[in-house]
Amino acid sequence: MIERDVRLFFQYKFIIILRAIWFVAQIVLFGLIASNMMNVNVVKDYFRYYVAGLSVMTLYSAAIFIGFDIYEEAEHGVFEYLLSLPVSRRQLVLGRSIGGGLRSFIYVGPLIAISLYVIGSLNPLQFLVSLLALFLFSFGVSGFSITLAVMIKSSDRFDILMGVLDALIVRLSTAMYPLVIVMKANPAYGELATFNPVTFAADLFRWGTGLESIITISNPLLSLLGVVIFFGLFTYFGVVIYERRIEGGGWR
Amino acid sequence: MQNLTKKYEKVTAVDHLTMDVEEGEILGLLGPNGAGKTTTILMLATVIKPTEGTAFVGEYDIRKQPEKVRGMLGIAFQEPKMLWVSTPWDLINWHAKVCGLSTEERKGRVKEVLNAVEMWDARRKNVSELSGGMRKRVEMAKVLVQRPKIAIVDEPTAQIDIVGKHRIWNMLLELRDEGSTIILATNELYEADQLSDRVGILHRGRLLICDTPKELKDSIVGGDIMDLQFEKDAPLGIVDELKTLREVADITQLKPTSMRIYLNKVEEIVPRIMNLFAKKNVQITSVRMSEPSLDDVFAHYTGLTIEEAQKDEE
Repeated sequence: MIERDVRLFFQYKFIIILRAIWFVAQIVLFGLIASNMMNVNVVKDYFRYYVAGLSVMTLYSAAIFIGFDIYEEAEHGVFEYLLSLPVSRRQLVLGRSIGGGLRSFIYVGPLIAISLYVIGSLNPLQFLVSLLALFLFSFGVSGFSITLAVMIKSSDRFDILMGVLDALIVRLSTAMYPLVIVMKANPAYGELATFNPVTFAADLFRWGTGLESIITISNPLLSLLGVVIFFGLFTYFGVVIYERRIEGGGWR
Repeated sequence: MQNLTKKYEKVTAVDHLTMDVEEGEILGLLGPNGAGKTTTILMLATVIKPTEGTAFVGEYDIRKQPEKVRGMLGIAFQEPKMLWVSTPWDLINWHAKVCGLSTEERKGRVKEVLNAVEMWDARRKNVSELSGGMRKRVEMAKVLVQRPKIAIVDEPTAQIDIVGKHRIWNMLLELRDEGSTIILATNELYEADQLSDRVGILHRGRLLICDTPKELKDSIVGGDIMDLQFEKDAPLGIVDELKTLREVADITQLKPTSMRIYLNKVEEIVPRIMNLFAKKNVQITSVRMSEPSLDDVFAHYTGLTIEEAQKDEE
């Protein structure tokens, strides 16, 4: 199941290429221009801050893609085929969750390499820990996407909901802008942003690349804990809800 | 299957279906679209849950041990299930892997099966480039590569040309000969007749009857027809004499030199009829025999032809 999802994702060459172009354009256009708008007294090095956050945002959006696969499969009747295979429902959803996470991780790998080149620094040991955290984060996002996809039966609604959630989760994190600026805009936003899995993942990535001075949560262990809880929670929900929803033809 | 039932709100797709499938046989489920064939199959494959009743696949209950059941089954769906980005080779190789075939086993078997369904040359094509018939063959290849204990095939030759039909029929017969039990859902009477060891007729979610094609045909009283032409007029009293035979259901005489006899168990009674005419020195110039088709059987049990039943279901 894992292998299938990974292979399937890389068949969508058009989407993958466009995403990569989007990623590079975000760095060389938005990142460079926006960093000139930032007050250096508030944020020392917004460009590198942004590049690290962008990698996590890209990982999030790639991992979300598995939910759309589920609709595509339902439309082509492949869902029924998958349900008829000699594997348990638990294996099926875990495979999909891991496959969804793994493929987005593989996909983001070269983009992370670009980020590292642009950021220009690395703490090898910390970076390994942050990679592990990103790995778990992408599984968690896949589980989250699967959970919502099987709960919402309309692909149009799922598409819109994902847009809304993207605005709430990614924009209300510190992936794109430092906490101090979020707090300044609205203290409540700042409070919410500190309890956001995207913030945890972005923090850990910055910590891994040696950008400790601009991370949101001072103790990376707390961010790591946040990512682990997010991964555990949505992998569990993904399995339980998927099992309940699909058994008996509930996806129809 | 014991009282297997599936209801969708007010619609009963399968209504208290009770039947057995014998090991090593091809059981045809015959009925028009909407008769409940696919729903029955999906319940057996544990893809959907019955509303009521259950079924046992081997010793396993589809409700309580669905994983064990899925381990014994292979299914070729009516509509080939494949994403447009896949290739036949990817699909079959992955299917074989999920079904537990080792890398070594897969190497040979995937090639063998794709060759058997004549898809080896097209193995690297995207499924979006394949014709309907080719997709059906790829769907069949899934079952062939798996060689399951119980193979379920849902309308395997729908929209396939006659050459393709024969190719798929041969594959099913080979699969049966290799030891698989096959459940064949079809709305094609000829297909059910030619392939099935037994046929179950489904109509409006109910099983009307299940037996061998021969027994089903014999179950129609007077279903076999014998048309006779005589050199001269038939002798007086022969009709009454023929009517005394138990297997003769009816006789019509359109002309003095011809006769139509409606029979049961034709192979037993025909020699006796011929002897009777020989004793009376009646010269017979032509004999034409026709037996009832499954269409007649379907009409007999439903009161509708399969085309009428199809419209009725719609």
